[in-house]
Amino acid sequence: MKKIVITLILINAIFLTGNAQMFITKNGKVSFYSDGSLEKIEAYNTQVNSAINITTGQFVFKVLMKSFSFEKALMQEHFNENYVESDKFPNATFQGLVANLNDVDFSALGTYDAIIEGDLTIHGIKNKVKEIGTFEVKEGGIIGSATFFVKLADYDISIPGAVTGKIAEDIEISVDVDLKPRPTN
Amino acid sequence: MKNWIKVFILAGFVAMCVIAYVWIFVYNKPHRNYEKAKADYELQAKDCYYHFSNGAESADITYTGKVLEITGIPTYVEDMDTCSIIVFAYESGMFGDEGIRCSLLPKYYMQSKEINNKEEITIKGYCTGYNETDVIIEQCSLINR
Repeated sequence: MKKIVITLILINAIFLTGNAQMFITKNGKVSFYSDGSLEKIEAYNTQVNSAINITTGQFVFKVLMKSFSFEKALMQEHFNENYVESDKFPNATFQGLVANLNDVDFSALGTYDAIIEGDLTIHGIKNKVKEIGTFEVKEGGIIGSATFFVKLADYDISIPGAVTGKIAEDIEISVDVDLKPRPTN
Repeated sequence: MKNWIKVFILAGFVAMCVIAYVWIFVYNKPHRNYEKAKADYELQAKDCYYHFSNGAESADITYTGKVLEITGIPTYVEDMDTCSIIVFAYESGMFGDEGIRCSLLPKYYMQSKEINNKEEITIKGYCTGYNETDVIIEQCSLINR
């Protein structure tokens, strides 16, 4: 309950800051990929909540871990039970901002490189991240994309001894969000 | 044939059977078929949503990771490439409508076009949790349609 209240306060802070111009989606896509010597692991999640405040540059996304879909059922089981422990840590979140907001003109159509800085929380561990992404400003919305690597050890995700060295220690995460203006209530 | 050769062949055969079993039924075991699975809980969509939104932790323990069969009047259907998301909206919040979002299996894509906001429907699927705005149910099938 405490976590929910904290998250709601943070999201509220984003929404209530200044003359907020919010763009949101509930169908964002987050996928990850790792190519170790033992096996290739790929999974995707297409029900990701994401929002950006184009006035302040604050940007969030939230992912339910159990919504990741894998090609192999066994991988999905291992992912949820042994790696991310999704019963204990059901969500992954990112809360941060567009660091170079002055370089991104959300009022003009075009594609802009963006530096995204903030806190990425996976497996209950929060780390500072700074990654390059793009925002494509188009008619009626903004498409945000970023691809970056995370080190499993940084999030206290341990690889079982039997497969150490055969599963990649870094995984590539891709985020694609098609953000639309927030409907007015 | 000498006994040791027979034992060797038999052991090889058993080993191959074990490897084949592990390969087929463990490593490549199919995903659970939620369409055919028996629901762990049958409940009204509205009750399910409010259980989560009023006390997410107890609802999480009860429903997350379970097969739910929910009944209610959908608010609208979102079209997503080759699949649809049926939305039961009960509140309005920071992310717009809040409620239950059910991703239908692609085979129900055409049937989802017939869904309207007047008729009650029943949906079965795998509940992946509550993201503080919506309850997410994946791999859903339409019951009795």
